[in-house]
Amino acid sequence: MRSILGWSMLLLVFVVPVLFLFLRSITFGWRYPDLFPSDWSMRAWHVIAGDPQILQALLTTMLVGITVVALNLLLGIPAAYALSHGRLKGVVWLETILFLPILVPVLAIAMGLHITMIRLGLADHISGVILIHLLPTLPYTIRVLRSGFDRIAPGWRRLGDTLGAPRITLFVTGLLPMMRPSLRSAAVLAFVISLSQYVLTAIIGGGQVTTLPLLYYPFFDSADQAVIAGFSVVFAALPAVFLLLWESLMAGFTYLLRRT
Amino acid sequence: MKRYVPLPLLLAAAACADGEGGAEDADTLSEAPWEEIEEAASGAEISMYMWGGDEGINAYMDEVVAPHLEEEYDITFSRQPMDAPEFLSRLMTEREADSMDGSGDILWINGENFRTAKENELLYGSFADMLPNMDYINEEAPYVENDMGTAVEGMQVPWGNVQYAFQFQGAEDPPETMEELLDWAEENPGSMTYPDVSNDTGNGFVRHILHHVAESPEDLAEYDEAWLEENGDDVWETLRELAPHLWREGETYPDSLSQQDQLFADGEVSMTLGFNEHRAESLIEQGTFPEDTETIGLTSGSISSVHYLSMPFNTTEPEAALVAINYMLSPEAQIAKLEPSRWGEGHILDLDAVSSGERDEIEAMVGEEVVPQEDALPELDARYVDWIQDNWEQEVVQQR
Amino acid sequence: MSSSVKSWLLLLPLLVFMILFVGQGMFRAFQESLDVGGSSGIFANYEALAADGTFHAALGVSVYVAFVSTMLSLLLGLLVTRTLTSWMKSDTWKLGAWFPMLIPHFVGAYLILLFFAPTGWFASAAASAGLGFPVMVQDTAYIGVILTYVWKEIPFVVLMLLPVYQEMDGRMQEVSRSLGAGRWTGFRFTEWPWVRPVLLETGLILFVFVIGAFEVPALLGVTYPSMVPVLAFDWFYQSGWSTRPLAQAMMVLLMLGSILLALLLLTTAYRWRERGRSHA
Repeated sequence: MRSILGWSMLLLVFVVPVLFLFLRSITFGWRYPDLFPSDWSMRAWHVIAGDPQILQALLTTMLVGITVVALNLLLGIPAAYALSHGRLKGVVWLETILFLPILVPVLAIAMGLHITMIRLGLADHISGVILIHLLPTLPYTIRVLRSGFDRIAPGWRRLGDTLGAPRITLFVTGLLPMMRPSLRSAAVLAFVISLSQYVLTAIIGGGQVTTLPLLYYPFFDSADQAVIAGFSVVFAALPAVFLLLWESLMAGFTYLLRRT
Repeated sequence: MKRYVPLPLLLAAAACADGEGGAEDADTLSEAPWEEIEEAASGAEISMYMWGGDEGINAYMDEVVAPHLEEEYDITFSRQPMDAPEFLSRLMTEREADSMDGSGDILWINGENFRTAKENELLYGSFADMLPNMDYINEEAPYVENDMGTAVEGMQVPWGNVQYAFQFQGAEDPPETMEELLDWAEENPGSMTYPDVSNDTGNGFVRHILHHVAESPEDLAEYDEAWLEENGDDVWETLRELAPHLWREGETYPDSLSQQDQLFADGEVSMTLGFNEHRAESLIEQGTFPEDTETIGLTSGSISSVHYLSMPFNTTEPEAALVAINYMLSPEAQIAKLEPSRWGEGHILDLDAVSSGERDEIEAMVGEEVVPQEDALPELDARYVDWIQDNWEQEVVQQR
Repeated sequence: MSSSVKSWLLLLPLLVFMILFVGQGMFRAFQESLDVGGSSGIFANYEALAADGTFHAALGVSVYVAFVSTMLSLLLGLLVTRTLTSWMKSDTWKLGAWFPMLIPHFVGAYLILLFFAPTGWFASAAASAGLGFPVMVQDTAYIGVILTYVWKEIPFVVLMLLPVYQEMDGRMQEVSRSLGAGRWTGFRFTEWPWVRPVLLETGLILFVFVIGAFEVPALLGVTYPSMVPVLAFDWFYQSGWSTRPLAQAMMVLLMLGSILLALLLLTTAYRWRERGRSHA
């Protein structure tokens, strides 16, 4: 009974509003004070599908997002592990430095970043965009993974030492599966943040790297509510697709682990 | 975007060994005959920085301009949706880093953005004289030489001409002069507003108030600080008196024109405004604006604004950019731009220079003018735009 | 190799990355905010800011919005986590709470507009019931902005707190209950010590995020007083870039404030955590 109440509360507050967007995208001239829409139209979806860059943008967005997630985990797992179990001096300063990208307004450092990217020869290129997306994502990844590692008691490491297994194998076969919920959260969070970057992508990608927000943001600056709503639905759908990919990947990984 | 550079041009560029990264500059190109430029343009990929939030404009570029360039010249054209302040900032950084491998080839700008670009040397150079289709443009028109007080010097060419107009819904007897508009606002409390002046539309409304305060447009023909000293207070006073009758009693203003359009679409306010007297047509068709939307150009004067095409200093495909710009000035492209179902904005053609068939076509398309030529007011110097931006919030919003 | 050297090695790539990019960007921003060669001193822009009423108002409203949104998100996030972990048997409910995290902030703001605008869906509902509807978006109290942030951030708080609650030893609560401790006392002694450092760090992230974000207040805020990022954006681009140094000075101040706050709160969280460890 209680769980039904909990579910309906969750759905009502968090899920229904997003579905409402979809409804908005397929209506025509639905305005105050009509409680329910009267006319339907697929125009917004024609506009979205008709954009010559939409497919390319979807692919680029997925590619950037997935690479950003991979790099986040690659860099973030060791760092979070070190922060959690390393017992470092000056750990607060370290954490502050790793927090920097969320402490600093993008607008203020955008030009500096752009110059660095030009010098590195990565401006206007997808690799530059991927690299720059690490900034707003890494602090969150580290934070989430760190609290995941914190939960795993130091005793676990001692156990590993006693068993004498090589550390790296143990890390992959023992520790990472325990981290599965945290890894999932970090991955989805990084993907969503990468997905919603407009300013950084525009500055570093220079319009040459067209991700979904680059197509969508200008529409947001228009009165065309149906198209805005439609694009928003696409936006909400992408992380769901990513989550599916992630879960199948993890399932495959677990299967492999069990077999070996 | 860097593709192969044709051999003759490569040699020409090498010849003028100024170490500027090898891009051909305007002076080198201006000596080349147009056919050679067209040849060099073939096979290039170019992109244009332009605002991308209007499906009509996008459709015009994607369905008219891009296919034509592809078929006729083998040029691949794409839009890069970005606002002018953003792409100019980007260019500024590229200028600072001496990056000659730019990512955009054509810019859509005007007014204070053009001034900023020119002052910071972000533009390619003087190219207007190279374009054969400049013949279709009335070179006598003031906007060819001067863009809101900044000398154009061939660094940009006019692309479209729009009038400032007001849209009303459900107004029985919509106002036709600024005086009447101010009265209308008082009689219909909460029905009117205008966007924040950091937005060009909001700024444009205040420029109309400047014209309203001025005795004649002559007073404002050139930037005149003494006039502002003397009459600036009247401008703010007019707006302060208007404020309590506005939407939310002038406590806040829409952040952008799109916000105001949304308020209008939702019926929260019953007027909206903006450059391009035909802009409501496609919005009504989409179902965004209500069917009974009526567009009014003020007979007391309506600012006519021209927007332009230009090229950034670091385009890697100047020939293809020139060819594309030249096409966009052609009667064919300009007439297609009038089509209200796509873009529907004013042309910049000289009606005496086009063929009689084209003239008929234009006249049929334009129909009855929303703003008759004699009511058009000249655009003000861009320094007035700055003056409004610098003072409006303090003088009007904070004085409530 | 000692364990601390190894830890440093694990962190090194990240530190280099952060310092190379962010450090360089910050240095440039600082450089641009200085008035080199001006007649009124190198810190003229900072002095101008100190005397600028618009800036003061922006700062005030920014701190207010960030503080209120953070506090509400933490409080409600804690409530949701506690309630749902005890109500629900399995963990699948998390997916529901995750939903708002899947959509970007500006879409969130747009949703709030769809529902809460004076011509939004709730207003339509109120009108059909013959009722009025208060102004909740683009209002001087920034209700719409706060609503957006709270709706978007509760799931984040839940995400951060959930591991703590999943790990928490349920027996402790039972013992305290059997000892006759009241609900509050129970919470105070069995949950709070573990929840506290996480709440503090999550609160820090939310606070600095809200105070520095542009999209939501641009859509749902008011012209005056505007939040600092909105004002910075205007100053950054207007009047032929002439007010850009002032905008940079403002953002440098915001940065310094955020960094100081981060140091302070992270130190506290660290101490709390250490104390928690020594108790455990």
